[in-house]
Amino acid sequence: MSGHRIVAITRRLLQGFRRDRRTLALLFVAPIVILGLLGYIMRGSTSAPEVGVANQDSGPLGAIVADGLKSSSHIRATDINAADGDAKLKDGSLVAYIVLPSDFSQQAQAGTVAPEVHLEGSQPGEDAPVIQALQQSMISLASRVSGRSVTFQFQVKYLYGGQNYDTLDYFGAAFVGLVVFFLVFVITIVSFLNERSQGTLERLMASPLRRGEIVVGYMLGFTVLALVQAVEVLVFALAILHIHNQGSVFLIFGMEALMAIAAVNLGIFLSMFARSEFQAVQFIPLVVVPQVLLSGIIFPVSTEPKGLQWLSDVLPLTYAVNGMRDIMVKGADVTWPSLQLDAAVVAGFCILLIAAGTATLRRRLG
Amino acid sequence: MSETYAVTVEDVSKSFGSFKALNGVTLRVRQGEIYGLLGPNGAGKTTLIRLICGLLEAHAGTVTVLGQRMPQVAVLRHIGYMTQQAALYPALSVEENVRFFAAINGAEDGVKQALELVQLYERRGSVVATLSGGLRQRCSLACALVHRPELLLLDEPTVGIDPQLRVQFWDSFRRMAAAGTTMIVSSHVMDEADRCQRLGLIQYGRLLAEGSPADIRTQGGSQNLEEAFLALAGRNES
Repeated sequence: MSGHRIVAITRRLLQGFRRDRRTLALLFVAPIVILGLLGYIMRGSTSAPEVGVANQDSGPLGAIVADGLKSSSHIRATDINAADGDAKLKDGSLVAYIVLPSDFSQQAQAGTVAPEVHLEGSQPGEDAPVIQALQQSMISLASRVSGRSVTFQFQVKYLYGGQNYDTLDYFGAAFVGLVVFFLVFVITIVSFLNERSQGTLERLMASPLRRGEIVVGYMLGFTVLALVQAVEVLVFALAILHIHNQGSVFLIFGMEALMAIAAVNLGIFLSMFARSEFQAVQFIPLVVVPQVLLSGIIFPVSTEPKGLQWLSDVLPLTYAVNGMRDIMVKGADVTWPSLQLDAAVVAGFCILLIAAGTATLRRRLG
Repeated sequence: MSETYAVTVEDVSKSFGSFKALNGVTLRVRQGEIYGLLGPNGAGKTTLIRLICGLLEAHAGTVTVLGQRMPQVAVLRHIGYMTQQAALYPALSVEENVRFFAAINGAEDGVKQALELVQLYERRGSVVATLSGGLRQRCSLACALVHRPELLLLDEPTVGIDPQLRVQFWDSFRRMAAAGTTMIVSSHVMDEADRCQRLGLIQYGRLLAEGSPADIRTQGGSQNLEEAFLALAGRNES
């Protein structure tokens, strides 16, 4: 081993980076963006989930628990009518509601209380603060009931999902779409850069091809591949992994197809800003990771800090993930307005990217 | 020879940042002739070819191709462009590459003839990634001429290929010119200059001299084209 020769290799490597400022910037900016986002999501959240409280207790103790819930920092509790609860869960205005039954005070005096906890249930992680708040208010209730201990038996009911759903069922719905989106994006951006670096794009530009023809041709080619991949992913997820699915397989496939088309066009568009495959690969953490963190796959959008929620609301993956969960966990069909909105936003994003990709594909090189 | 011009370049300048790649170049290429753009590496030959096929836009001056001022997409179907590197799809076969470029130019019926012209018909099933540099250049030429363009722009087409193949290339060029195709061939190899009907000598983005090989020899005061070029380049520098 020659130290001199090893140093020569190391020096050569660093000299190359010195002149590739874009890669250098991405190398140092990407981790700050990703870790910063993660920190902000996990620690910066000021928004607590909306929870309804239906106090039907004819005695005095229900009011104590209801007040405890309203003063909890884990949730934002408001009084509701129990009959409206399910509708509010469906329209997304509540993530849960708690019913304190009419004999709640009597139950407490008898030593066992059984409040009903109704959870929306389509996203993991949203039920934890509800249960936490309820447990705290139950502890304050216990101190008011003198002479005996009180046992809590929450009756948890899920609007969607349920106890037979495991973590994979919740994440699987989102990941089925994400896997297709991510892989198609990577393949497209690298292929389009190949077209540039091997000189064939220059040839295409010197031919009668219109820019839009290149972009749409690329989109169709990769979409064919992406659709085959989408079928494979779907079959594996449903038949081998047995991920729960309440909706139509064709709707899942349709949403996957939309995500694939969005990924193809995002790849074409972003390839315009990279000069080498090396630089293109740097886009992956910068483009894909923040979307994964912010689109509700891992952390529900409703639990993010307000500023990040606005950002989540403009990301296409947020709608795609929501659409996939609507179909697979909630059993949504085409008549659901939320699914219509999700599909429309992803489709709109595809159109926007086709236009952007076409506009940035310049015929003239300089 | 007809005095109709296939290409007219009028007082064209092109800069990249502070670097002046072309500085007031004027030249005319007659229809059906083989015009050689000669000059050392970095002289501005590729920039001029890219301006002619509309990939670049001049900062000053005009470029007119087949009667249309460039850049003009409609003219591109009449132009064939062979880039300096053999720009091909390595995962496709020879025939698939040629067929692709034929399709985007609306000329699928020219594939067999193009492959025969560059003597690749027998190798049409070979995957480009497995071919030698010379064979790739031949495939690249077939892609440039498959739609029978009126104007063929060949940017250093013989770089990196052996002398035998170079002779075959020039035979093909002559046959195409005889059939009426106008050709602009850039090269920094002086022994290729004699194969052109007229030459434009470029250095530092300027046209030093223009004329037939015999004219250039006279202007440079030498029977050897290379010496004539060096003499003209020396006068320009002084």
